[in-house]
Amino acid sequence: MSLRVLNPNAEVLNKSAALHMNINAAKGLQDQIQNPTAIMIARTAIAQDDISGDGTTSTVIFIGELMKQSERYIDEGMHPRVLVDGFEIAKRATLQFLEKFKTPVVMGNEPDKEILKMVARTTLRTKLYEALADQLTDIVVNGVLCIWKPEEALDLFMVEIMHMRQKFDVDTRLVEGLVLDHGSRHPDMKRRAENCHILTCNVSLEYDKRLYNEINAGFFYSNAEQREAMVAAERQQVDERVRKIIELKNKVCSGNDNNFVVINQKGIDPPSLDLLARAGIIALRRAKRRNMERLVLACGGEALNSVDDLTPDSLGWAGLVYEHIIGEEKYTFVENVKNPHSCTILIKGPNDHTIAQIKDAVRDGLRAVKNTLEDEAVVLGAGAFEVAARQYLVNEVKKTVQGRAQLGVEAFADALLVVPKTLAENSGLDTQDVIIALKSEHDRGNIVGLNQHSGDPIDPQMEGIFDNYSVKRQIINSGPVIASQLLSVDEVIRAGRNMRKPN
Amino acid sequence: MREVVTVQLGGFANFIGSHFWNFQDELLGLASDPESDPVFKNPYLNTDVLYRTGETQQGILTYSPRLVSVDFQGSLGSMSSRGTMYSEGSSAPSDVLTWTGGVSTHVSEPHKKNLFLQSLYEEEQENCTTMSGTNSGKNDSRREIQDKDMVECLDNDVQFWTDYSKVHYHPQSLYELSGLWMDAQEFNNYGTGKDAFAEGFRGEEIRERLRFFVEECDHIQGFQFVVDDSGGFSALAAEFLENIADEYTNTPVLLYAASGPGSHMSVRSRKQTIFKELHDAVSFSRLAPFSKLIVPVGLPFLSTSKASTFLHFKDEKPYHCSAVYAAAFHSACIPFQMEPVGPSADLGDVSGAMDVSGLIQMLAGQARQNMVSILDVSMPAPALNGKQGEQSLLGSLQPLTPDVAKDVEDLQAVESMTVHGALGSGGHYALIPEVKDTVHAMYEQARTRPMFCHLSVARSPLPIPLPFPSIFGNLVGQRGELLGSPVSGSSSRGSLDVHSVPMAVRLRSSSAVLPYIENRLGNLRRFGIERGAPGAELLRNWGFGKDEVDDMGETLSKMVMTLDPHSQMSSDSD
Repeated sequence: MSLRVLNPNAEVLNKSAALHMNINAAKGLQDQIQNPTAIMIARTAIAQDDISGDGTTSTVIFIGELMKQSERYIDEGMHPRVLVDGFEIAKRATLQFLEKFKTPVVMGNEPDKEILKMVARTTLRTKLYEALADQLTDIVVNGVLCIWKPEEALDLFMVEIMHMRQKFDVDTRLVEGLVLDHGSRHPDMKRRAENCHILTCNVSLEYDKRLYNEINAGFFYSNAEQREAMVAAERQQVDERVRKIIELKNKVCSGNDNNFVVINQKGIDPPSLDLLARAGIIALRRAKRRNMERLVLACGGEALNSVDDLTPDSLGWAGLVYEHIIGEEKYTFVENVKNPHSCTILIKGPNDHTIAQIKDAVRDGLRAVKNTLEDEAVVLGAGAFEVAARQYLVNEVKKTVQGRAQLGVEAFADALLVVPKTLAENSGLDTQDVIIALKSEHDRGNIVGLNQHSGDPIDPQMEGIFDNYSVKRQIINSGPVIASQLLSVDEVIRAGRNMRKPN
Repeated sequence: MREVVTVQLGGFANFIGSHFWNFQDELLGLASDPESDPVFKNPYLNTDVLYRTGETQQGILTYSPRLVSVDFQGSLGSMSSRGTMYSEGSSAPSDVLTWTGGVSTHVSEPHKKNLFLQSLYEEEQENCTTMSGTNSGKNDSRREIQDKDMVECLDNDVQFWTDYSKVHYHPQSLYELSGLWMDAQEFNNYGTGKDAFAEGFRGEEIRERLRFFVEECDHIQGFQFVVDDSGGFSALAAEFLENIADEYTNTPVLLYAASGPGSHMSVRSRKQTIFKELHDAVSFSRLAPFSKLIVPVGLPFLSTSKASTFLHFKDEKPYHCSAVYAAAFHSACIPFQMEPVGPSADLGDVSGAMDVSGLIQMLAGQARQNMVSILDVSMPAPALNGKQGEQSLLGSLQPLTPDVAKDVEDLQAVESMTVHGALGSGGHYALIPEVKDTVHAMYEQARTRPMFCHLSVARSPLPIPLPFPSIFGNLVGQRGELLGSPVSGSSSRGSLDVHSVPMAVRLRSSSAVLPYIENRLGNLRRFGIERGAPGAELLRNWGFGKDEVDDMGETLSKMVMTLDPHSQMSSDSD
């Protein structure tokens, strides 16, 4: 073998040893992720997260269970290839079954908020404790609906997630508008303003010597007056821009008590700030690029790259703009906007860890709602789907399969049960009892899931436990692929041994 | 006011940065200390350029570096990434709000504070409790011994750059790359660093940190980058710089690409040599396009180089070599801090103010747009009216940039020299005009003269803070003067014996840097571009397509062309 030549000490496992290593690795995944097989599975989980934003744990345990089920048959002398064929058949059958089993949801122009809430609640409750999860459910659903336009792809980046560190406050709320993490930099500007015109622009209001003369000023001028004159002339260009903004402000705000806010992506230097403050304008500098896009979505108007095309039409509108200061951190809230197509979820927490946890949960919740809107379908949760799919595979599909591939289908079907099993295990119930109870209910034709509190079968529809269709589909799709690859392994090379040391 | 934002990326860069901020902190301390030498009370050197004022949640005013530092997780040693200034008392959460079940707590032993950090901590406590300084006589003798212990302790076991840092950092300043742990062997090549910036929310978070400091600036004059040239951080820096070039288009970037001592050590196989050479070539060609001026520093054998004639230390300690680079960066940074005044008016203490863009325009913006500069240093700088047989100031300037040609005649060379704290006749700090005249006279006499030289002069020398390593040889006196005969005793002298040193640094844009670029171009061609090149596979692994590699070659050969239009190397490219 070529590898032996390169590294005589490399450990080359033969086929059966390699397979067992894969199986053991997959089973022991929850303990530590450091061996190559485990990494492969972990990558699948990451892909799962990228695509559907949820179901990472399910993917991992499902692959692990597939491997475990296979082991039983392989130990009895069955060829892995046959199992893999069975997996393939079972996978296709399960996906077809999923199509039949899913509960379609009609979105139309007015999506069913209740269904969305149920899906969001199901995901959030697996990650946070109940009270917090329920609070976040409303926020997440309203947040997504805020940016949702029928017939258009959802961009979850339009929901900004901001956090504030506060000592005692634990409070998360949805701001229908924007929160910027900086404030105005002039003492005379208002801290709170109502009925505001918003000018979103990307114009430098900074006197920039670099742009006007190429070499350090010191080399050019023969005397100080000449230099002063030059500087003044250069300064004028910037003042001119500021003047144009002030002109527009006077045009739209004269005769009423409206206010004017400038939010600029580029810098604004102190003289310009001074001019703006004197004209009663609130100005923010160096806004985040992403926020520029979102400002336009939230407040209307358009983002300007030059002050030459200033018109009242290009202005946005917000009912309330105010500043919130914690120590040296300033936050500017832009609220009561006209047509909120962008919003902010503001998380307050006492420490970074809490904030990070809530943040992750919110992200997952947003994804779940988004998936539902896009799938236009949900799947009954609490393990109901898995048990039903197993019954279908065992009772119907298995009979149509010829030969030993049947066993592959059976292994697949049994592996599906890992989801209700894990649910039961996590709530301290006896897994055997639960599975038997669920199976027999399904045999009677009732589609039931697991009640975690009592261990009894429940109707997920009644309880409002729904999972994402796309999440389930992704799990069913990717799990067997990885498992098949791991099963049809030829050999594994275990590196990492010291190459220089002779035995 | 014209602010500079400093960014430090990577382990060695942070080692340098830690020394750099120690100097700044020492200067701040000396300026407010009534007993210090009046030469340090210099109102024309504006520390606000590098520092920011803030306020904690309790309303206490703070003064901290305007800095973003990026390093591995766990590289901060005993320091917390949130710093100490903004700590909110007990940070331990009373209850975990996202979980109602039982909680068990496992706490790992925190890194032990070394003697130096302990004494800093104690001092702070003392300041808080007793503001009066009675019975100082007794304390002094005790302190003396302690100082010696501290210096010794630092010399022997500095592990993290925070071990010798006496600066309070802002909580936004120190960024740890989550998920990338120190001692992770895999982060030593370009490929791994490439994705590190984009992965997860890292890039976003680092940009956020930078924006925090930039938003505060009324009028930013530029970014000062110190990047660890060896390892994945250079790739991270390239991605970050690309971002900055996009977001802050008109703000100039001055980049110091520093290679640590470890990167040159150890005998290597051919494979590793190729790996290293390719890495250097790729790293340089990727960093250069996104900065306005790049200054490569990092000699493979600093301690035996001419730049450290009067210094005495071991190469393998990053704590030691980083001090030399930091001193040079500090001096090069002085012109940015000077209050700009008209060209005719010279103040008593400083002269030759310049901002970052001015420097860049001067060095890189002339007819020949060469953006690679050489950093020369003279530490300690010899006295102006040196005795016979001693080196002159110009002669003592030795490059910190590797692969620099000696004695190159370049008619288009441009130089920017900073001299501060130079000693004049009778051991006094020389006055500004004295320094200027001497330097001009020296240029008159020199065999090769640059086309243009900008001179910045300040009277205050480089103060040596307590945690500075003992790297001075035994010919260096208390104020950095060069002694005729060696001081008896130990061969290396540190902060207890040497209190300040005069410094001279020079940034020079000259064709002497040609070998440096040519080396990299040659290596890239030999190992990466040519047919059947041994490193082609490696480059693919790092995620570079053939086009990209060709582009890099193009970038480098253009740089060679600007310096040497008749170059052999560039003409054969097609």
